[in-house]
Amino acid sequence: MSNAIIKTQGLEKTYSKSKVKTHALRGVDLEIPKGSFSCIVGPSGHGKSTLMQLLGGLDRPTKGTVFVGGTDISKLNDKQLSNLRGERIGFVFQFFNLLQNLTALENIQMAMMFQKASKEAQWERAFELLDLVGLADKAEAKPCELSGGQQQRVSIARSLANDPDILLMDEPTGNLDSKSEAEVLKHIFNIHKAGKTVSIVTHNNELAQRAELLFEIRDGKLKS
Amino acid sequence: MNIFKLVARNITRRKGRFIFTLLGITVGMASFVALLSLGGNMRGEMTKQAGSLGAQLIITPKNWCAYDQISILTGNSLPESLQQEVLDDVSAIEGITAVPYLTLGTSVNNQSVLLTGILPQEMKDFKGWEVEQGEWFSSQDERAVVLGSGIADPFELSVGDTVTIRGETLPVKAILQETGGNDDTSLYMPLSVAQELYEVEGFVSYLAAQVDDMSKMEEYEAAILGVANVAITSDKQLLSTVLSMLGSVNLTLQMIAMVSLIAAAFGIINTMMTAITERRREIGIMRAIGGNGNSIFKIFLIESGLYGLLGGIAGVALGLLASFFIAPMISESDFAAFLKGAEFEASFDPTLMGLSILFSIIISIGSGFYPAWRAAKLTPVEAITHE
Repeated sequence: MSNAIIKTQGLEKTYSKSKVKTHALRGVDLEIPKGSFSCIVGPSGHGKSTLMQLLGGLDRPTKGTVFVGGTDISKLNDKQLSNLRGERIGFVFQFFNLLQNLTALENIQMAMMFQKASKEAQWERAFELLDLVGLADKAEAKPCELSGGQQQRVSIARSLANDPDILLMDEPTGNLDSKSEAEVLKHIFNIHKAGKTVSIVTHNNELAQRAELLFEIRDGKLKS
Repeated sequence: MNIFKLVARNITRRKGRFIFTLLGITVGMASFVALLSLGGNMRGEMTKQAGSLGAQLIITPKNWCAYDQISILTGNSLPESLQQEVLDDVSAIEGITAVPYLTLGTSVNNQSVLLTGILPQEMKDFKGWEVEQGEWFSSQDERAVVLGSGIADPFELSVGDTVTIRGETLPVKAILQETGGNDDTSLYMPLSVAQELYEVEGFVSYLAAQVDDMSKMEEYEAAILGVANVAITSDKQLLSTVLSMLGSVNLTLQMIAMVSLIAAAFGIINTMMTAITERRREIGIMRAIGGNGNSIFKIFLIESGLYGLLGGIAGVALGLLASFFIAPMISESDFAAFLKGAEFEASFDPTLMGLSILFSIIISIGSGFYPAWRAAKLTPVEAITHE
């Protein structure tokens, strides 16, 4: 696939704790095309989240390479990798990961702060995104004042703050009730329709069935 | 959103811890500033006293220690250990004018006060004193006292009143004009009367001398040593001895203040390390959404620097306030008998205060360096997966 926005080659990740070594990934080769909607599935503890962390540059592989937009990200230094995460990749986590002492608006603005966006640009974009996820009226609410579904929508809005190409999501609906789940999924599908590359780690079969591409990870390997 | 807003949100999140850490640096800076302020005043006061001495040479017994020399400047009683004949020998040297001091402790209206035995006419000429009220001694052995300007009010005395010294009732003949030095805080009586009352006939405490030609100082000193077995100190040497002793005292006090500052610095380190452990997951989130190690380092360093800024301002204010309250207390303590000047006050030097705040910020930033470095070194994944 020539239009791969993410590509891995022989990706391995081994965790060492004292003398015990855990092989989380054992040589994963995959390609995620630009603008695609993919899901990474598999049993718990088989390396799905590790794979997502490596794809997003949150961690470095023990062996192998990850290319994002043609760049071998394992060769980037901390600053370059941080910039790549800030500009090109948006993350959504199962437990929302919002800063509790900031408002919904400020949580979104913070992502733009690291990219040195002006105060006005931060303000405008954060409101636009909150409006997109239907939470314009909750701009000044702290995370503890929002429901789980609302927090995840703020988290989705934050992931879009710097208009990234890629959205990586780790169990985005894993902690939500069915009503909130439907609401969150609606926004995720809309984001994909808008042209973003979306890759989701999930246990949700319904969601997995709607994916254009499905990667199944078992025992640290990609099941073909 | 900017880093400063983020830091402000973080720092006030745990209000109790914020306040106690801030108090640590505030108290440390307050003690530092209070001691600095008092120390600065002591130096100024001693320099002023040396100026008001009006003598270039101080002639003392050979066995005097630095403590005795300080007492000349601080205006405390001194042993009467110099034979009066030395005065005649020294005065006989051409180009030297010398006056004797017999400094004794007494009490008036149950308050202790310095009593100085002087040769009335010689001393008046030597010092250039002017009488504010009443009349100067009419003879060299008149049984009366004259008050320094600072004595009358606190002792509730005026011209015509009497004071009882060693069982003898003596009239107050005059009150001197203010000189701005220790001369204002003594009672004066003719030398012969003081010697008689205190039974130290033939002895004085020390001599103060003026010379006609400052360029021949060494020759004068040699001449004095030729006629008397005494020790000679110039007013400059005396001041430098006192200031160097004062410097040692100041240094000791500042070291004590430094200990409290160091303790406060450890308090900041502790607070910041705890904050990093607590906010580990947040560090991971910030890293995931594009914050690099540098940004994280900056956030935590600014946070600890803010402790220094706020603690420094509060500490300087508290330190000055404390020094204004402490100053009068020191004036009444035994410590003051060693160091006090005529008026013991705290001094306010804006440059020094500014530097103190800067110092506080530097200490706090220094304290925050290691915690901030630790935070910056966390990889996004180890921070974000922290439970």
